[in-house]
Amino acid sequence: MAAQMTDAHRRFLQVLMSHGIMEGSEARKLHRRCCEIHKVYYAHDKLDDFISTINSHLQPLFMQIRKGMSEGDGRAHYALVNLAETEITKMASDYTENELELFRKAMDLIILSENGFASSTEILNLADQLKTKKMKKKEAEQVLKVFVEDKWLSERNGEYTLHTRCIIEMEQYILSNYQDVARKCNICHSLAIQSQVCESCGIAMHLPCVRKYFRAQTEPRCPQCNDFWSCDIPGTSRMDSQSPSKTGRAEKSFILSPRRC
Amino acid sequence: MSQRKRSKVSGFSQGDDGDEDFNVSQTPTHSQVQRNLERRSQDQVNQKVSELVQFLLVKDQKKIPIKRADILKKVIREYRDVYSEIINRAGRTLQEVFGLQLVEIDTRHHIYILTSNLPRAEGENLRRDNQTAKLGLLIIILSFIFMRGNSAKDGAVWEFLRRLRVQPGERHEVFGDVKKLVTEEFVRQKYLEITPIPLTDPPEFKYQWGPRAAKETSKKDVLRFVAKIQGKDPTFWTSQYTEAEATP
Amino acid sequence: MSEASGSGDLSSSWSSGAELPSTSRNGAVPQRTQSRLSSRPPASGDEGEEPEASGERPTQPEGAGDERSRRMIRNQYRELIYNVQQNREDMLSSKSNRLTEALEEANKLFSGVSCAREAVLDAQFLVLASNLGKEKANELHSEMTAFDSLAFAEDLLTFMGINRIEVEDNDSDSEGISGGYLPSNAWQKLGEETEKYFRRAPSFHYMLGSFKSDPPVPRQRIERQKKATGGEEKRAMPAQLKKMEESHQEATEKEVERILGLLQTHFKNDPDTPISFFDLVIDPNSFARTVENIFHVSFIIRDGFARLKLDDDKLPIIEPSKDNEGREDDRGAGARNQVVLSLSHQEWKEIVETYEITEPMISPPCQRNEDEMEIP
Repeated sequence: MAAQMTDAHRRFLQVLMSHGIMEGSEARKLHRRCCEIHKVYYAHDKLDDFISTINSHLQPLFMQIRKGMSEGDGRAHYALVNLAETEITKMASDYTENELELFRKAMDLIILSENGFASSTEILNLADQLKTKKMKKKEAEQVLKVFVEDKWLSERNGEYTLHTRCIIEMEQYILSNYQDVARKCNICHSLAIQSQVCESCGIAMHLPCVRKYFRAQTEPRCPQCNDFWSCDIPGTSRMDSQSPSKTGRAEKSFILSPRRC
Repeated sequence: MSQRKRSKVSGFSQGDDGDEDFNVSQTPTHSQVQRNLERRSQDQVNQKVSELVQFLLVKDQKKIPIKRADILKKVIREYRDVYSEIINRAGRTLQEVFGLQLVEIDTRHHIYILTSNLPRAEGENLRRDNQTAKLGLLIIILSFIFMRGNSAKDGAVWEFLRRLRVQPGERHEVFGDVKKLVTEEFVRQKYLEITPIPLTDPPEFKYQWGPRAAKETSKKDVLRFVAKIQGKDPTFWTSQYTEAEATP
Repeated sequence: MSEASGSGDLSSSWSSGAELPSTSRNGAVPQRTQSRLSSRPPASGDEGEEPEASGERPTQPEGAGDERSRRMIRNQYRELIYNVQQNREDMLSSKSNRLTEALEEANKLFSGVSCAREAVLDAQFLVLASNLGKEKANELHSEMTAFDSLAFAEDLLTFMGINRIEVEDNDSDSEGISGGYLPSNAWQKLGEETEKYFRRAPSFHYMLGSFKSDPPVPRQRIERQKKATGGEEKRAMPAQLKKMEESHQEATEKEVERILGLLQTHFKNDPDTPISFFDLVIDPNSFARTVENIFHVSFIIRDGFARLKLDDDKLPIIEPSKDNEGREDDRGAGARNQVVLSLSHQEWKEIVETYEITEPMISPPCQRNEDEMEIP
């Protein structure tokens, strides 16, 4: 039988709930603080046990605290996620219908893209094609900002990718809804949105996983086909592997939608 | 017996707004609920409890109070005969798992809110967003009302807010349409009650605490806040202090 | 002062019991009065407490008190409440000490209270007495206990970190609203302070399950190239442009060069006069041509051959770059600038009318297949 929850667990859950996602070290700090406030047993290496106690109580409610890795820096994160898709969960009031449609279309672009990024230009061009209710580009820009604030998207230099929070919550959904396109990392076996892909056999690896995997090797070779790994190994060159690849000339100038009037 | 009750109850479902009273006498008694409960499978009831907890959490996203009518219509449906049991268990789950409390703020119309059972710790690392700033505006208004004797005229409230660079007619850089925030959002969330003062021309309004304010904070806390801001002891305001200490 | 002390004493005498549960209420009277009078109490008194902690009466477990004496206490409380209610006017009179006496009596009773039932009566009495006390205080116009909203507002502004740029003597202008501006985080700061006075439930937010998910149809597979080095350049372009880019790559470059030539001729003839952006790009005969022109001009701007800015009337103008210097600028900070410009058919028409454009400044290229761009 699952261990009983204490106020320390409840406080931890409340704070995580308010943030949606927390970085590993923050979560560890919170764990400690909650135990101190409520004077319950604390051991610094018992965070995962602490969380699994909470999870056993969240399970009937189709909620869970999940651990996942940031695709950018490889750090662990904890997110409180919803697991159910029901009539009730659809009553969420955070976003309007067309905002959600824009989000899904942006998600499409990101997942179907090669490097896991979609430019703001591409996403904003969707705004007046929404089926539910068209949006002005200005509005769409605002909505994108909110998605970033709410940690569903991340933005770098005008390019958007899925936030770690979104990946943690939506992993199963993406894997089943984008069966043919979604990739799994060959190292950690989780969904990979931003990844490097082997030129010869096509397997994918997260950038932090690439970094870790090749750290010990003199010559980088694909773990699958053993061919030479021709991508830049992040952290080994001066190239900033975090920033999205350069984009075409049109991207940095005007967006036009000549077919709309 | 329970059949009669249920058919009576179901006639109520068309009222989406649920403002019409849902008579307490129509609610099955405890022993009836127990009997009804036996006819339902445990799994089904548990499932309803889980759904209700989800529903309450979803509805609390915008801090709009939750009406029993909505709960019945959207979640309970054909389980009306065991409603009281389901809502009690959902309340217990919210308490045991999340440290949240399901509070009935209007026992006549059966309106519920969620509050936290855990007092916020000093410097607690909660998410800071636009809601945080709104809370600041709210406590100022609540303070003003309480300190002025639990009621304040709209003119006085806005005159006071103007001193804090909050103008009803202007778009505020943090709050946007601040008039709407105060007179609609805070009212809908039941933090404030605004009622017209009869026989006033142009019409004047009376601002008072709404039931959510009394549950989420207290006169004592608001007085502590005022005292902290003004660098004084709460006892400085004798009558407010007396009143705050006498209010549970 | 002597008059006011009546109401001052009464509240502090009982209330100290609630604030400091460990001290007897009577014993704390002088202390409390003192702290009320002293200007700044120690900070610890008004911050660290948690809402739950304060205000709880020390009560022993039910049944600890002798049942008979409890009943007696309850009777005495009820009698006291009844008496106070019956003698309202007398209580309120400024010459009378009766409210204070009643409170003192309640204090004595309270020292014998150990259970909730009696405590409830005590609370009931206190509500009654405090309401009377408030009325009395209002009648006395006691300056000391009145709430000064002006001072509160000023203190709030200070707390929020107001930057008082104006000197004090300057701010007596409009109904005493003092000058200065609030920093942008002012309300955030206040909100953070506020959190601990509320027991607001954090709310749960999620993305999965907030929309109807399509039945998991296999997505149309988009052939991902295997780390094509050249592929990078193309990818992030809007679909329509991509199409055009591929088929008209050369044509585009030629067209950009042609327009650049046109512009340079203009600038050469009149180097100091900027050209209205709309005059340049609008083709009154074709919306599609207009859109194309904007597209082509954007490259000229991106490459630093011309600059786009707003004139005094906030209308867009295009002007020649001051040769190298201008281009350097654009390479640096400005290089990442991105402008989203939308132009509807309606807007195009309006501009044509407003600017009274009758002829395109950029003549259509000789013979071009306009199939893709033309509006149906």
